[in-house]
Formats: sequence, C-alpha cells, structure tokens
Amino acid sequence: MMNCYRKVTDDLYWVGGNDRRLALFENIHPLYHGVSYNAYVLLDEKTVLFDTADWAVGRQFIENIKAVLNGRDLDYLVINHVEPDHAASLEEVLLRWPNVRMIMTPKAFTFLRNFGYPVDVDKIRQVKEGETQSFGKHEVVFVNAPMVHWPEAMVTFDKTNGVLFSADAFGSFRSLDGKLFADEFDFDREWIDDARRYYTNIVGKYGPQVQALLKKAAGLDIKYICPLHGPVWRKDLGYILDKYQHWSGYTPEEKGVMIVYASMYGNTENTAEMLAAELAERGILNTRMYDVSSTHVSYLISDLFKYSHLVLASVTYNLGIFPPMHNFLADMKALNLQNRTCAIIENGSWAIQSGKLMKEALEGMKKMTILDEGITVNSSFRDSNQPDMKALADALAADLAK
Amino acid sequence: MNYQTTEAHEALRAKVRQFAESEVKPIAFLLDKENRFPREAVTKMGELGLMGLPYEKEYGGAGADVLSYAIAVEELARVDGGTGVILSAHTSLGTYPIAAFGNEEQKRKYLPDLCSGKKIGAFGLTEPNAGSDAGGTETTAELQGDYYILNGEKIFITNGGEADTYVVFAVTTPGIGTRGISAFIVEKGWEGFTFEPHYDKMGIRSSATCQLNFNNVKIPKENLLGKEGMGFRIAMSTLDGGRIGIAAQALGIAQGAYESAVEYSKERVQFGRPICQQQSIAFKIADMATKLRCARFLVYSAAELKQAHVSYGMEAAMAKMYASDIALEVCNDALQIYGGAGFMKGMEVERAYRDAKITTIYEGTNEIQRVVIASYILGKAGKASGGAAPVKQSGGETGERKKIIFKDGSAKDKVDALVSALKKDGHDFNYGIPADTPIIEAERVVSAGKGIGERENMKLIENLAKAAGAAIGSSRPVAETLQYVPLNRYVGMSGQKFKGNLYIACGISGAVQHLKGIKDAAYIVAINNNPGARIFKNCDYGIVGDVNEILPLLTEALDTGEKQPAPPMVKMKRQIPKKPAAPRKFNICLGCGHEYDPLKGDPDGEVKPGTAFKDLPEGWTCPYCGETKDAFIEIEV
Repeated sequence: MMNCYRKVTDDLYWVGGNDRRLALFENIHPLYHGVSYNAYVLLDEKTVLFDTADWAVGRQFIENIKAVLNGRDLDYLVINHVEPDHAASLEEVLLRWPNVRMIMTPKAFTFLRNFGYPVDVDKIRQVKEGETQSFGKHEVVFVNAPMVHWPEAMVTFDKTNGVLFSADAFGSFRSLDGKLFADEFDFDREWIDDARRYYTNIVGKYGPQVQALLKKAAGLDIKYICPLHGPVWRKDLGYILDKYQHWSGYTPEEKGVMIVYASMYGNTENTAEMLAAELAERGILNTRMYDVSSTHVSYLISDLFKYSHLVLASVTYNLGIFPPMHNFLADMKALNLQNRTCAIIENGSWAIQSGKLMKEALEGMKKMTILDEGITVNSSFRDSNQPDMKALADALAADLAK
Repeated sequence: MNYQTTEAHEALRAKVRQFAESEVKPIAFLLDKENRFPREAVTKMGELGLMGLPYEKEYGGAGADVLSYAIAVEELARVDGGTGVILSAHTSLGTYPIAAFGNEEQKRKYLPDLCSGKKIGAFGLTEPNAGSDAGGTETTAELQGDYYILNGEKIFITNGGEADTYVVFAVTTPGIGTRGISAFIVEKGWEGFTFEPHYDKMGIRSSATCQLNFNNVKIPKENLLGKEGMGFRIAMSTLDGGRIGIAAQALGIAQGAYESAVEYSKERVQFGRPICQQQSIAFKIADMATKLRCARFLVYSAAELKQAHVSYGMEAAMAKMYASDIALEVCNDALQIYGGAGFMKGMEVERAYRDAKITTIYEGTNEIQRVVIASYILGKAGKASGGAAPVKQSGGETGERKKIIFKDGSAKDKVDALVSALKKDGHDFNYGIPADTPIIEAERVVSAGKGIGERENMKLIENLAKAAGAAIGSSRPVAETLQYVPLNRYVGMSGQKFKGNLYIACGISGAVQHLKGIKDAAYIVAINNNPGARIFKNCDYGIVGDVNEILPLLTEALDTGEKQPAPPMVKMKRQIPKKPAAPRKFNICLGCGHEYDPLKGDPDGEVKPGTAFKDLPEGWTCPYCGETKDAFIEIEV
C-alpha cells in the first residue's frame, strides 16, 4: 500500500499528510513535533474532497485521494479555507481531476485568484451562509466563519452523519503519526499545550468571532469535528469545546502565576526567583518562570491564555523596555490578550523606566488589572526592597485566594 | 445690517456715558492704584438696569438687545477698562449660561438677582492645565447621592471673590476628554469653596481676578446646568457670546484713549502750533479713527447677528480679535501723542495702555480667535495628537489617594481625628525607627517644607519625628537653600525616594518633583496652611492649619514615651480601590478584525472622535478592508 489514508466514519476518509520537516509554522512559530495538514474525501453518489493540503505533503496527499477514489472521478471540491497551507495543492487537484466543481465563499474565490490559482468562475459555486448541497445520501450546509481566523473562512456541516469540517478551528500543532482521533492519544497530556499554542497564536485575537461561531455550532448536532490540523474529535467533545470557551472568552483556565523576566546580568532574574520562592512559601505552587530572551513568544502567549496572573520583570534598556519583553507585550496586545491580573518588577541602573512603560503597555490592553504592589530594583535586589517583595507576594497570594 | 444705531441705542449710550463720567471716571485712578473693586458703582449699575440688559423681562432682565449690552460695556470701558469687564464677565459669562442652558427652576432662582445686580456672576473654566484647550480640565465633580462633590482649582477668574454665583466646569466622566465635562452653578459661601487673594495685575485693576479653590464642595445635583457631558458645549457657546463683550471692552478702552489723545493734541503747542496740525500727528489720528470705526462695525454687526439668532461665532471671533488688536495700536498711538506726559502714572492713556493688553489675551487669545475663524472657513483640523485626547488618570501625581481633610472642631479635634484614623489603618506608634534612618529604608518619615518657617521650627519636626517613630526628611529647598538638613535627607524625584508606610508632610506645598518621590508611600499626611496646596490633592489625610499649632498637638497625641525598635517593615496596602473602567462598546469587522472604537472615530474617513457606531455616515466602510457597516458585530470591552 503506497498510501496512508484513514477512515473517519462510513463514507468519509482522512487523506492528509504529516510534516515533520517544517521548522517554523507560518514562518514564525517553532515546531518541534511537526504538524498535520488534514483533508477529507466523502464517497457518496458524488465524490467530494474537503480542502487540499500544503505543498510539502502534496505527493502523499494526491496518492491518498487516488487510493480512496479507487478509480472514480472527483466531482466536488469544498474549499473551507484558502490559506496556502491548505490550498497549495489545488492546482495539482485541478490538473488531475479537471471535471471537479468547486464550492466556496465569494471571498474565498477572490482570494484564490489573488494567490494566482487557475480557478474558473464557471466551475465554481459561490455559497452564502446557510446554503446547502446534496451529494446523494449526504447533504451539507455551509456556515460562514469570518475571521476564524481569515475573513473568507467557512465551516461545512454534514447533516447526514453529524460531521463538522471546522477549517482551522479546533486545529492543533503536532503530527498525527498514524493515529487520527483525539481519543487515540492522551490528549490532555500530550497534545493540549500544542493545541493551545496553535489556537492562541493563530486565532487568539479573534475571540469574539470564535464565540459567534460557537454559538452557531451550538445549534448543530455535531458528532465529529474534522479540523484542518491535528486530530479528529469524536468523543468527549465537551472537553475541547470547554477549552475553546475559555480561550475565546479570555478566561484563564487555571489560577496560577506566570513570571516572565528580562534580565541582562541575572539581577532581575534573581528578583524573579525570589518572588517565586516567596510565593511558594505562601503555598502558591502553580507558578511558571520564563526567561523572555530565550523563550519563543508563542509559548509565552500560550501559557498566558492558561494562567490567571502575570508578573513582568524587566530591566530598563535604552531608556525603554528590554526589547524581547517589549516584543512580548506587543504580541499580547496584538493577540487581544485581556482579563489578567498583572504585577510589575522593574530594574535599572540609572533612569529606571521599564516599570512605567510596561504599566502603560498593559493599560493599553483590555480588562487588565495591575496591582499597586510592585518592586523597583536599582541594579540589584537589596534589603531595602524586602518590604516591597513581601508586599507583592502577599498581594498576589491574596488575589489568588479570591 | 444697518449702518447706524437706533435712537434707543444712542439714548442708552448717553445714559451709560453720563453714569460712567460722573460715577466711575473720578475714581478710576484710585481704583487702578489700589486694585479696588468699585462695589458702589456696580450697585448703581444694577439700579440703572445695566446688569441684565440682554435678558428677558420675565426673569428680571431689561429685555434689550445684544447691541445695547455691547454699547454699555463700550461706554464703561471708555472711562475704565476694569469696570467694563466687570459688566462683560457678569453678563456674558456669569449670567448667559444660566439664561441659555438653565432649566425653568434654575432661571427663576438665579436670574432675577443677577439681572438686578443684587448678585454678581462669574465663570470658572480656566485651570493651570486647561485654558485654550478645555480638554485638559482637571477639576472633578463626582456624583454622591444628591450631591456632586467638586474638587479642583480655577485660575484667572474675573469677578472672582466678588461674584455670588459661579458657573464652574468640571469633569464628571474622566477619560473621555471634553465630552466628560459638565457645568454647575456654584454659590459663594458653600463649604470648601475658597478664594486666593486677588492677583496683582498689570491692567484692569479695578476688576477682581483670583483663583477659586474647591475642596469637597457639595453641589446639590439640581445645580447641574443642562445635562452631564454638556459642559464643553455650554462653555464654547458662552465664550462665543462673551467675545462680543470683550470686543466691546477693547473698543471702549481704545475709544477713550483716542478721544483723550485728540483733545491733548489740540492743546499741546509745539513749534508755534497745536501738534495736531503736524501731519505726523494728524495722520495718526486719522488712522486711529479709521481703525475704531472698523472695529465698531465688526462688534455691532456681531451683536446684531447674535440677536437675530443666526450663526455669529466667526463674526464674534473676528470682532474680538480685531477690536483688541487695534486697541493696542490705538492706545500705543494715543500714548505716543501724549509724549512724556502719557508715560506718567495718573494719566488716562497710561492706564488705557495697560488695560488694553488683556483684551488680546482673555476669553480666547487672539491666536485662538484666528483658529476659530480659520476653522469656520476651512473646517476643523484634528488635534495634533490625532484622535481623542489621551486618557489621563485623574487624581494627583501620587496616584489615587483618600484625600480626607479633617476640618471639624478645634485644632486638637482635627489632630485627634487624624491620629485615630492612622491607628485604625494599622500604624502602630509603639514602635519607631531612628531619625537618621536612610529615607529609602524608612517606614515612616516626617518631612519639612518651606512652610516650616524659621530654622528654630525644625525642633517641631524633630519632636514630631520622635513621637511618630519616624525618620526626618525635607523638601529640596529646605535642604538645598535653607540647609536645615543635609542634602541626603531631601525627598523627591532628584533626591531620596520614600516607599514606606507613612509620610507626614509638614509645610510642604507639593511641587511635582517632590510628589514623584513619594508616589509609592502607603499613606501621605499633609499639614499646610494653604488649603489650595497641591499636597492636599495627593494626601490620604490632611489638616489645613499652621505648623506651629498643629505639630505640637500631633506630637503630643502620638507620644508614647520611649519607642520600641521597629521590626522589619511590613509594607501596608494602599486603601483606594481601583475603579474598574466602565465597559465600552466596540464594533469589530468580520472582514478583517478591525475594532471600531467610538473614542477614536475614523480619521481617514473623516469621522470625528466620539462618533458612535450607529451614527456613522451612510455609506461608511471599514477603513482597512472596505466591508460595509453590516459586516460588524458589537462587543463589549
């Protein structure tokens, strides 16, 4: 067998591919365990392909389709999302199955043309919210999903078997490695961090739009969720929906403190360490510490969607915030992060500015609470800082106990 | 426009001129010299029916037109610029907002006394950080039950201290710029409403000008003028009309100087003939007369437009700008015609020369008048910063503070109330630290400002520090200029920073650089004899009083004998809870994710800051992706 497709449910097959060579997803987010590009074939009176795949897995993707079609022609191609990690193999599909008719939103059609794909308007059905299409036994309905996370995106729901083709929603980093369903993994241990890092960095900004989509989805009897990356959900859908409610509502998953420090010579780092120890003394053990210089910002964003409290500790640099910390704050703002309780530790050796600037940056975000307690370190932590340290640890402990 | 005034106008002019010549002119020199308000003359102006000229008879006004009012100001200013502005500020600024924006009850309550001159009106808009730009207003009015609590200060207030009612502008909704400003009627004599001594001004010295202080002044909520948030509109509309008054004042001052100079030029003989027969003087007079006629037409025309209830903002600005600009030129020429004699105190032209200057400055500088005029012609330019005024946290330089001022009872009662509040907050005065503890490490500091007075009074500070278990600090001048304490004891941005639990500021006025040094203090106590001192806006507790009286009482109240050495400091939590920002509605675009923020508007689409999403113009599209309005969903942030 030259192929590795998998059956999802009767008539429906996964025909995607796994990519373990890609270093940076979207050329920005590091990947250590690869990523899958999912596409699905429905065998009904008509044959239907749902989305295509990245060029990196193009050969295997085509082989998988061929194997599933087993000599039948391809009648329909539904494009839920045109981002090139899914639409890149489109031209190859068109060359091999020239009779295929395509279904997409009007915006998707415009985008595809702008990306330079040879799509012929006569072969396309442009669909609007709520329109349906029958393929024989299976009838699907198209539901717009604007800004989840692109404006052209839609999701497709098969009313016959309860499959939701959810585009990038419910996707995740990590390759599937032969498995397909979330229940084939220990998802909550192996996958959740990658799923969170995927959602928060790719879709995080669009919480209100995701909430709007979840509201629409609540009216559907969903049995399977088939995303464009990561595993298919057929059991315990409530688990992943609950995560999405938290993330899209910017509600922390857990009470806990994330301490992110920017330190040049270890003095700020030392102050952050002392705070973590003070918190531990007070029984606050759900804490995470990160060096902002050596941690990719996508991990920081991801954990900040998880935890309720954030302590930023930064040295002053060129009369400003240390650049990697500045970048973290900019990313927080860009991804619409909100509704966290924050505290600030600043350091500097002459004109200490970072605390004031970090406070301003946080105040420029939505629903951020900034504790009055904070620490100003002049070059290194000294005894005179001790009362502020204790006050900060007390304030965090009290706030966590709320 | 008619090019001549009516008989009635000229009859009024004759009446006012007769009054001005006989009642004001004889004392004008004295008023100027002594900085004295002409209380008797103002009372007579009321009796003559001049104090409510353009207001309806129903409310006690004279039912005359705006031009009559302008003529009255002009005629008073002709003999004394200060008296002219008393009438102008009273009528245009103090009375107009009530007449135009007051409800029936407010009009019935305030207008009859104002129009009859029984009471004088004033207007409080200008602040240290808000003049031409009212968006910088820092005075606040917070609704608490049936009252608004007013706090702040207003500077350069004409009729200040002499007036009985004040239309005061204050922020009721912080953070949204001018749309958060409201107008209130405030009466003299209300608790917490005090006046600074009158300014020593260059000109118009017969008019009273001072700073108003509001310290938790309780305004009954029925004294809100119009609605909350209408303040800026009320202020701008009032100033539009007020400009006619100032234009008339400038015109009058110049007219008086001109007439005086013409007379003098006929009498003064040089080279065998009156100097007016010298072409250089004659031409000057010709120019002066031309300018005056031009200004008069502008002023009267603006008055006429206002009376006709048509747009007059640009014309009023032109009249104010031109009349005051030429008033300086005419007074300068008049003084020049007088020569050395005009340079002497007691000469009318000398006084007119000084009086005229303010007219190019107040009620909108002439630079702002040009902004106004240009905006009528060219449209309004956006703020340089773009979008809404930056949101600045209200409250002092030291962050949110309780600002409780003890003022009931005797000095001892106040001190006792202070001490019991401090003890209740957890300050334990059984413990203490040495007086020479470095400021940065000190849990408590007793600090001396220039208000401490003579060096021997430092004994009061030392005693209080001992009784309070505190280290000794000071303001910068006390260490640097007076040298009462070593340089390393002064607290401030450039000096030591205090981050402990209790800072007792004695005789410290609260310069910004000092306040920055105590912003991390858990508690700040202020003791100062000036209720307007900035330190009171930055304190948790305060007592207005003399350090010589308060400090010994406080020392006695805190003295527990020998203090036990303090354990390591436990930093106290500040008590003021942060107010959560009120939720706001945004609309987000489903075509690109753009958030439409009503506070910012859409500068590229010429949508002004403050435009609600529903009020966006027909055909408006997303500035980023071109989606139409129906592709937006509403969210609350």
